[in-house]
Amino acid sequence: MAGHKQSNRPFYRIVAAYNKRARDSKYIEQLGSYDPLPNIYNEKLVSINSDRIKYWMGCGAHSTKPVAKLLGLAGFFPLHPMTVTETERHRALAELAEEAAPEDGVKQQQL
Amino acid sequence: MIPTSYVFGHESVIDEVATNMAAFSAARCLFRSYSLVKNVDQNTGILIRCSRRMLCSAPSDSSSPDAHVKPQFMDSEVQDILTRITGLNLEKVFRPIKQELKPPKYKLMTDAQLEEATQSAREQAQRLLKMPPVLPERKPINDVLSEDKILEGMDTAKYVFTDITFNIPHRERFIVIREPTGTLRKASWEERDRILQVYFPKEGRRLTAPPVFKEENLKMVFGQDRHEDMLDLCQVQFEPDSSEYIRVHAATYEDLEKMGKYDLLRSTRHFGGLVWYLVNARRVDGLMIDMLQKDLLQDAVSLVGLFNKVHPHSETAQEASSQQAYGLDLLKIYAKRESQRAGYVELALQAYEQTSAESTV
Repeated sequence: MAGHKQSNRPFYRIVAAYNKRARDSKYIEQLGSYDPLPNIYNEKLVSINSDRIKYWMGCGAHSTKPVAKLLGLAGFFPLHPMTVTETERHRALAELAEEAAPEDGVKQQQL
Repeated sequence: MIPTSYVFGHESVIDEVATNMAAFSAARCLFRSYSLVKNVDQNTGILIRCSRRMLCSAPSDSSSPDAHVKPQFMDSEVQDILTRITGLNLEKVFRPIKQELKPPKYKLMTDAQLEEATQSAREQAQRLLKMPPVLPERKPINDVLSEDKILEGMDTAKYVFTDITFNIPHRERFIVIREPTGTLRKASWEERDRILQVYFPKEGRRLTAPPVFKEENLKMVFGQDRHEDMLDLCQVQFEPDSSEYIRVHAATYEDLEKMGKYDLLRSTRHFGGLVWYLVNARRVDGLMIDMLQKDLLQDAVSLVGLFNKVHPHSETAQEASSQQAYGLDLLKIYAKRESQRAGYVELALQAYEQTSAESTV
C-alpha cells in the first residue's frame, strides 16, 4: 500500500510495486485504493481492481500483510488469521475498559 | 451509445438471455453505461426480441385460455403510436437551452440546401425525442455472502469493497459491504448508485439527491410550470428503475393531469411516458378532450387505439374489434363506454365535427 499523505488525512493506494522499493515511491500499476477515515455514512471505501490483481498474482506477486487483510475482509481471499487475532485482542481490551469504567464510576461516587 | 438494460434488472432474465450466446453478447453490450439515448434502431430489434423472451419465461396467465401478451412500453407498435402522438414541433425541440452565449451564425443557402438543412434538423429532433425507458421498480437486494461471528466488534465502521475492473457493466459489478457485526453482504441499490457515482462519476449526477425531489419542493416547481426541467433532472440523477425515479415521474404526471397542462410536455421526449402512465391508469379523458380542442383528430384516434391494445378486455376494445371501427367512430365508442367524463368528451366531439363541417363548407 502506498500512502500519499497530507498531514492528518491518510489515504492509501493498493499498488503493484517492486519489493525493495520505498513505500511511497514509483510503482508499476495502481490496483485500488483504501480510505481509512469513515465518511458521513460511516463507511470506509476500498476499491479493488480484481482483474489486474489476479493478473499480478498470476505473474508471481505476493500480497503484503495489510493488503492481504483487506482482501480477506472483502471475501476475495480467505480470511487472514491475524484479523481474527486482532479482533479477539480488540474485544479483550474493550472488555477491560468496560470493567475499568464502572469501577471508576463507583469510586467517584464513593469519593 | 446504446440504450442500457431496458428490462434486464432481473437476474432470471439475465439467465434466460445467457442461454443464447449470440443474443448474450449483444445484450452484454446493451448493459453499457446508461447515457442520454442517441442510438440506432438496429438495437431495438434485439431488445424487442429479448423483451418478448422475458414475457415467455414469465408464468403465463392460467386464467385466460387465449393467453394475451400484455403490450410492453418497448413494443414497436406502442412506440410508433407514442412517437406519433408526441408530435414534432421543431420550434419547441430546438428552443434555446441554457448554454454559453455564442453569436448566431448566418449561412447563405439555396432553397434546396434549406430543405436539406430542415430535413437533417428533423432527424436530429427525432433523435433528441427518443423516449427514456419505463421499467418496473427494481427489487431490493438482500444477499448475504457470509456471516463471520468471529469478526464481530472489530471496527466501528463498515468496509465497502468495490470492484473497479473497467470492462464490467455497472449492473454486474461487485459491491460488497463488511458490517461491524462481521456479515458480508451485497450493497443495496441506493448504496450501489452512490458508490458507482464516486468511482465512475456521471455528468450532472450528485452523490445525494438534491432537495428539489422532496414533496413540498416538487409542488413549488410544478407551480412554476417547470415539469420538463424536473423530469430532465430526475432522468440524470436516478436510475430508471429506482423507486425515486418512479415516484417523481408519477407525481409529475399526476400534477399535469390534474391541471390539464399536457402542452408543456407535448413535443418533448417525456410525452410518451406521460401517455403510457395515463393509459395504464385508464384516465385518458383529460388528454382526449385536450386533443379534440386542439383539432388533433389523428392523435386522439391513435390514443384510443393504444388504449384498446393495452386493455384488450375492456368494453371499448371488444366493441371496436367487433365493429371494426375507425376514426371518429372509435372515439364515439370510447366516449360511450369507457370515459368517466362522457359528457365533456361528447361535447368536444360535436364541436370538432361542427368546425370540420364549417371548414369544408
